[in-house]
Amino acid sequence: MTEQTAVSKTCRIELESFEGPLDLLLYLLRRDEIDIYDIPVAHVANQYLMYIRRAVELDLDVASEYLVMAATLTRMKSKALLPSRRIDGEEEADPGAELRRQLILYRTFRQIAEELQRSEETWTEIYTSPGERERWSGDSIEIEPGQASLLDLLKALNSLSEEEPELPSQKIQRTLLTISECISTLEKSIEPGKNISFRTIVGSKPARSKIVSYFITILELIRRGWVVCYQAYPFSEIEIQRTERWSVDS
Amino acid sequence: MILDRLAREVEALIFASEEPLSIQQLCEFTGSGDDSIHQALDRLNKTFSDQQHALTIIEVAGGFRIATDSEFGDVVSQLFEGRKPGKLSRAALETMAVIAYSQPCTRMAIESIRGVNCDSAIRTLLERDMIRISGRMETPGRPLLYSTTKTFLEYFGLSNLDHLPRFDEIEELLGMSSSELEERDLFGSGEE
Repeated sequence: MTEQTAVSKTCRIELESFEGPLDLLLYLLRRDEIDIYDIPVAHVANQYLMYIRRAVELDLDVASEYLVMAATLTRMKSKALLPSRRIDGEEEADPGAELRRQLILYRTFRQIAEELQRSEETWTEIYTSPGERERWSGDSIEIEPGQASLLDLLKALNSLSEEEPELPSQKIQRTLLTISECISTLEKSIEPGKNISFRTIVGSKPARSKIVSYFITILELIRRGWVVCYQAYPFSEIEIQRTERWSVDS
Repeated sequence: MILDRLAREVEALIFASEEPLSIQQLCEFTGSGDDSIHQALDRLNKTFSDQQHALTIIEVAGGFRIATDSEFGDVVSQLFEGRKPGKLSRAALETMAVIAYSQPCTRMAIESIRGVNCDSAIRTLLERDMIRISGRMETPGRPLLYSTTKTFLEYFGLSNLDHLPRFDEIEELLGMSSSELEERDLFGSGEE
């Protein structure tokens, strides 16, 4: 492994360990010991952008959500740099307020998720009787009329298609009919100066591959000028006539 | 302790029931009042612990159930090997948290809180029967609404939705404007 891929791998793991841009921002705030109520916009924006830029440089697939946040932070940063225009008595809305609200909300739910995880930890060790046994037994659970959801129907459909018995396999022999083989057959079956119909050449109930092979052969023979073809009207029988050139050339 | 008739009836009912039995059902089937049922449950659990049984009666998803002690989780899990689904991912847990507190809610609402696409997390939760589609919001596009299920309560050992931690505070938080938020810090600003 080259150094470059090693670095890219660590970075990928790092970015993937975050549950989105808000998670990454919270991490940066905690790392730099920043109070969520007093975010130095320029500093945080720089740190965030550095992270994203590194990921982009390493040619990682950065989810669009991260890029949207990068744009938002850049805008906030530039706004913070500009002198604020103050309309009489009205205070300029704090550009960080919405971000702060998002961060606090997300942090709250992340904490709940952690609590849920602790409950999960405890409760997966506890077994009740007999509900769980049924749930995991894989047997179909009876659903009351009107209670089936779309998901239930999809599950049922999926299990049906899984159960479909395997069709008995059959080996299909592929018969190869080369153009040169066709030509030598035709050489024997078409007498000089006489007409023969295409139907006669391929015979009755021919395989599709046979029709195609002979048709291409006829086209090849026309190109060489070894046969002439006649057709009375579209889709009617094709009559093939051998020319003198066939015997001369070959 | 020798168990009385009522306690043993309660024990039998809970053991044989497919679903968690509510206090009302226990009252109805035994012909006793709330208080006597609660006392019977206490006597049963005391007997279980006194005699060092591996079982307890717990309250979950709106009713009572007989459950094994977590101490025996490893042993019992062998019964369900390969069938018991794995633990939920962080993305699924976060999505679960948002749905639990703001249900019924749309995918958009979840994504605006988490700041990321939640499609696969929602799909996982639907497949595991933790959430269900509970309707559509009557707004343009009529997006689907998601709510939690009884399986969710059982999985996390909650007896009902009111037992979710800090329920009221989060409801307030969700409806709060950003300026109001600044005046209130639920978790203390020093935490992050």
